[in-house]
Amino acid sequence: MSFVEIRDLTFAYDRRQPPVIERFSLSVEKGEVLGILGPSGSGKSTLLRLIAGLEVPAAGAIDIAGKRVVDDRTFVPPEKRGVGMVFQDYALFPHLTVEQNVGFGLHRLPRKERRERVREALELVRMAGFEKRYPHELSGGQQQRAALARALAPNPDVLLMDEPFSNLDADLRVSIRDELAAILRQAGMTCLFVTHDREDVEAVCDRHIVMDAGKQRK
Amino acid sequence: MAFARIMRLMRRELDGWRLAGLGWAAVLLLPFLFIFSAWFAEPNEQWLQIRAYLLKDYVAGTVRLTVLTGLLTALLGVSLAWLVAAHDFPLRRFFRWALLLPLAIPPYIAAYTYSNMLSYTGVVQKTLRGLGIEVSQKWLAFGSMRGALFSFVFFLYPYVYLIARTFMERQCASWVENARLLGARPLTVFFRVALPMARPAVAGGVALVVYEVLGDYGVTSYFGVRTLTTGIFQTWFGMYDVESAMRLASWLMAAVVGLFFLERWLRRGRRYGVSGRSRPIALTRLRGIAAALAFAFCFLVFALGFLIPVLQLIAWAFLSFEDVWKPRFWRWTLNTVAVAMVAAFAVTAISLVVANVCRRRTALNQLLARWVTAGYAMPGAVIAIGILAVFIELDRLLAPFYAAAGWGERPLLLSTSVAMLVLGYVIRFTATGYNSVEAGYEGIGSRFTESARLLGHGRTRTFFRVEMPLLRGSIAVGFLLTFVEICKELPLALLLRPFNFETLATQTYRYAKDEQIILAALPSLLVIAVSLLSVAVLHAAERRMER
Repeated sequence: MSFVEIRDLTFAYDRRQPPVIERFSLSVEKGEVLGILGPSGSGKSTLLRLIAGLEVPAAGAIDIAGKRVVDDRTFVPPEKRGVGMVFQDYALFPHLTVEQNVGFGLHRLPRKERRERVREALELVRMAGFEKRYPHELSGGQQQRAALARALAPNPDVLLMDEPFSNLDADLRVSIRDELAAILRQAGMTCLFVTHDREDVEAVCDRHIVMDAGKQRK
Repeated sequence: MAFARIMRLMRRELDGWRLAGLGWAAVLLLPFLFIFSAWFAEPNEQWLQIRAYLLKDYVAGTVRLTVLTGLLTALLGVSLAWLVAAHDFPLRRFFRWALLLPLAIPPYIAAYTYSNMLSYTGVVQKTLRGLGIEVSQKWLAFGSMRGALFSFVFFLYPYVYLIARTFMERQCASWVENARLLGARPLTVFFRVALPMARPAVAGGVALVVYEVLGDYGVTSYFGVRTLTTGIFQTWFGMYDVESAMRLASWLMAAVVGLFFLERWLRRGRRYGVSGRSRPIALTRLRGIAAALAFAFCFLVFALGFLIPVLQLIAWAFLSFEDVWKPRFWRWTLNTVAVAMVAAFAVTAISLVVANVCRRRTALNQLLARWVTAGYAMPGAVIAIGILAVFIELDRLLAPFYAAAGWGERPLLLSTSVAMLVLGYVIRFTATGYNSVEAGYEGIGSRFTESARLLGHGRTRTFFRVEMPLLRGSIAVGFLLTFVEICKELPLALLLRPFNFETLATQTYRYAKDEQIILAALPSLLVIAVSLLSVAVLHAAERRMER
């Protein structure tokens, strides 16, 4: 029983241009960390945006945790999909502290539980003690971990990561890679991980696919 | 299948935000539809008269005024821009921003200030007579076309100057320097390189000037120049003939729409720009007579466009202080501020909604954004007549309700309320607020919004919790610029204000019209002071871009 099921997905940014994703199918097991490799422009980021609900496919269907989120007649908006995402540039809200950023997706919880979840999430990524800092007061690696904590805090069904290491320098990259693998295992998270670096995949992922021109390369 | 997909699209796209945006766009359509409906009505006798005897004058006056003003402002604005952008001379850094200051003086205030200074009892002739010099009145007559041209050119040229100078400073450097290295002489560099490249920018600036001139009532009516706008005022105030006023308005509107497309056509495919970081042109140092001439030219324009009228107004303000500084002065100020606040607030809200809806650049969204901001090109008189027609019709439709509510048989409730004026301002000045908000949205990008959505917040919560705080600065700037524009505005205020409702601008105009020029000085200075705010904001924004 697959946890994320994608069938015949097709998407084009512009109708006059060839599709970025073409009849793409994929299934991911629960708790699996799947690496998506491919050159730039191969449609891997677009795939994540389609799963997240930030773009609408021209055709095809996506199921997440047994629920249909998009097909020809359905469209579940991003805020109701139970999907977390870590962007390449982290997108931490500059006007909120680390604590407020991490608690941002927990608005439905009562205050006490919310504080508890924030603490847990920050401990998970080893960022306890940075609650009151603003994003611009953090280093690149710290920002990255805060963004991860923010995405994990609401306990999403699926975590999407779009080149999360591309803004880090090489040394940091190696250490954070191992950390991330541990964190994902610990949280039992189902994760789709987009990268163009084979080493990322080897360190973090259970299995990987390679995308090329909107299709899965065999 | 296709049907299911369309339903999906509708469900996804037609949320409260988009409906609000589309609803407002529909409201905007009404006044213009009413104006065009005038074409289908049977022309009345007055219209036949106007068409036979006046229309030709109105059109000729409008064309002559706009063409001459356009040419002269282009000449003045571009030459100053080139001088400041590429040359070094005494006080250049001061003139660089000081040459923007004339923008703070509405041309109608300049018009009556100068015409009074140059009159027989004005300071110029008095001084000359004191020195024993008799000058023919013909030389100093500051009337009609000549006066109108002067008032427009010297107080609107900063639109051209600012856009052209910014363009030359940021975009032209490598081309200009290459031309110099290739041995081109200074004038050749200007005419063969800088000017052709800056043409799209100059066209944009001149277009703004022309829209101002087409919409003007203060200057043209003061000098008795016949234009379509003054014609609209005459048929409405002089003959109470809304129908003919609407017909004239439709002519004016056609002219503006034509110009709008002409400008687009002139600029088609001509957006020269360098990618990446640009750097300023290496300045040519002027020496000796050239430096003195450059300084004298800038100083002359600055003196005529700002220093002299402001000094004169301050002098008059001292003379008339006792007569003007009374409770009613506060009432005018309060009226102005209140109306401007309400309208600027509405403009900001509308801008936020539409800019939020239009963040995805689809053709439909672009059209919506264009349409909602198109009012900046529409002359105030056209907007006013359209609104008036709509509100009179509304009152007619609502008459049974008024009667049922016991307010009398056919009261004019809406069409005598201040709501008309506010609506007019909002239509006219949405572009000012929108441009600022749109730039803000472009600045923050879509990442933060997407993050918030993925963290479980809907569009509206995302807006209030993430976008609003991040857009604070742009919202404030948009609000302020709109507020200032409204405080200066004259034609809309004159046409749409309720009976006995005076703003600083209308009161200034009334004093000037009644030959009580000196009394107009104090409200004029207040309007100028408020306008200086927006010049300061423009300047600050430019400074920030340079960093």
